[in-house]
Amino acid sequence: MESLMHIIRARKPRYVQRACLRILRNTLIVLGCAILVCIFIFPVLWMVSNSFKSNDTINAQLSSLATFFPDFTQIGQWFDNYGNLFATFDYFGRSILNSVIYCIVTIVMVLVLNSLAGYALARMKFPGSRTLMNIVVLLMIIPVETSVVPLYVILYRLGLLTEELNVFGYLLPGFCSLMYIWMFKQYFEGMPIELEESARIDGCSRPGIFFRMIVPLSLPIFATVTILTFMGQWNEYINAQLIFTDPAKQPLQVYLQLINTFQPRDLGLTMAALTFSTIPIALVYIFFQRWIIEGVSFSGLK
Amino acid sequence: MDNTADVTREGEGERLTRYGEFLKRAKSKLPRMHLSLKGDGGKHRQPYFKIIRTEYSREETLWGWIFVLPCVILGAIFVLGPIVISLYYAFTDANLLRLDEAQWVGFENFKRVFEDSTVGLALTNTLTFVVEVVPLQLFTALGLALLVNKITHGNTFLRWAFFVPVMLSLAITSMLWMNLLNDSDGLINALILACGGIPVNWMTDEVITLQAIIFISAWQGAGYQMMIFISALKNVDHSLYEASEIDGAGSWNRFVHVTLPAIRPTFSFVLITMLISAFRIVTQPMIMTQGGPNNHTMTMSYYIYLQGTQYRDIGYSSAIALIFTFVMAAVSLTLRRLFEGKKD
Repeated sequence: MESLMHIIRARKPRYVQRACLRILRNTLIVLGCAILVCIFIFPVLWMVSNSFKSNDTINAQLSSLATFFPDFTQIGQWFDNYGNLFATFDYFGRSILNSVIYCIVTIVMVLVLNSLAGYALARMKFPGSRTLMNIVVLLMIIPVETSVVPLYVILYRLGLLTEELNVFGYLLPGFCSLMYIWMFKQYFEGMPIELEESARIDGCSRPGIFFRMIVPLSLPIFATVTILTFMGQWNEYINAQLIFTDPAKQPLQVYLQLINTFQPRDLGLTMAALTFSTIPIALVYIFFQRWIIEGVSFSGLK
Repeated sequence: MDNTADVTREGEGERLTRYGEFLKRAKSKLPRMHLSLKGDGGKHRQPYFKIIRTEYSREETLWGWIFVLPCVILGAIFVLGPIVISLYYAFTDANLLRLDEAQWVGFENFKRVFEDSTVGLALTNTLTFVVEVVPLQLFTALGLALLVNKITHGNTFLRWAFFVPVMLSLAITSMLWMNLLNDSDGLINALILACGGIPVNWMTDEVITLQAIIFISAWQGAGYQMMIFISALKNVDHSLYEASEIDGAGSWNRFVHVTLPAIRPTFSFVLITMLISAFRIVTQPMIMTQGGPNNHTMTMSYYIYLQGTQYRDIGYSSAIALIFTFVMAAVSLTLRRLFEGKKD
């Protein structure tokens, strides 16, 4: 590159040199971007295109570039794997539905319970409020993953692991998160207090102030927590595979492992399962992209 | 409205001086109900009570407790509960199959932790993972953010391309890469063969497997932190760049002296959250390798989990968890102290 620049510099007038340099730099940037995009996208591309192929085709094309693209000569058999998927694994569709339901329930409960607690800790002074705040701060340091087993014991002792109640056993622990309480509290503390004071003087009750004034004014934090909860709950794997033995109740992430480890190994089928289960979450990301970007970036601005 | 509030406060002050310090103290010691004139010129009298010197409004107490109660109950059972019982179980030989016959064994479990070579291996693996994945992911994310920020044409496409792995869940990512890196018929080895290289035992080599998991984790997570960095970069005051350009700063100097200080709060936040979540790694080895080969991808969280569920040895599992929790709490506290100190 040095020598090339040297040649450019030696022979041409200055504006030509500059143009050449710019072209050179832009080409390098574009090339770099292309390589990076390839690194980040090729596994996903491979996953999607191989979900349209039979197992034999996948193995035949594995070491050629055709492996990254759907096979247009077999367009009629593109969705065979998907048909197979639903025919072989009875609970596949059900597990997606389960995941969606678990996510919605958790998000609603997390938003309601944690925002109320966060508001009370931010704005209200009552006996024990300071102690509660100290406990929250102290316990936030402790990782959740190390308490998977004791949590299991507690659920067992509470009788929440029986076939009828294990859905509650799975969902209840996720409703209260110290981190979200803390985030809500921080946000509410940053809001101007004058609004609330004037509402109180006008005779508005506490719940009235919260639901009619605070909630509409603090949508960014609600969006952030919604997104974080969604990502956390959608990705949740450990507790679910410990608690649910009945495939009809398993969320997607656990059920997928059954498909992934299914023998004899059928790569096309596995890729179809992985692709299909990415569709709902991709839709969520595409439809709510503005909120997601705002939410993600808001979580960084603390 | 503000005026009346001030007048009332002044009035209260005068009254206090008039009654004297003695009366004020005597009153504050009695936990009884009063009617106070608060903030609103006496139009709305609010009942309140006192516990030791602090005044509490009755209404606020009632609603405050109603607001926090669900979380207090859930938190006491599902957050505090596991910590308390694992504190107890760590000193017993509790087993998942015979929970009620737990025998007190003192520090026996903790002695076992230090004699167990798998714990040492798991700790080494976890630390290796943290030390490698955090810089890799952090600087990839920062680099991608700078790139996307710099490029004017097609940056939406780039942003979404880098964000695609985040959309796959952790479990799906693990399963996908497990197939890609399959020793015998995985894509990566096929590509290596096609290029004339020697295939690598991605999933069975004791050293390489952990490195593969590190790469996959960074690949999956970098897009998320990139989004955070992009918004931080957008918030950097543009006049600073112009000023530094006039002063003749090159792009590297501008990056070091303008961009980095401006995004430092975001940087430290991302670093801390990334470190803490890296310490907790469990899903990837659980799905991809089950800790193998020969425990060379065993991590602390996964070992704690395995001891509790597979071997059903809750006592031992709790003891490891306790030690690990202390290590992590120390790390995160030190980091917070470090970065909060730096901010000033």
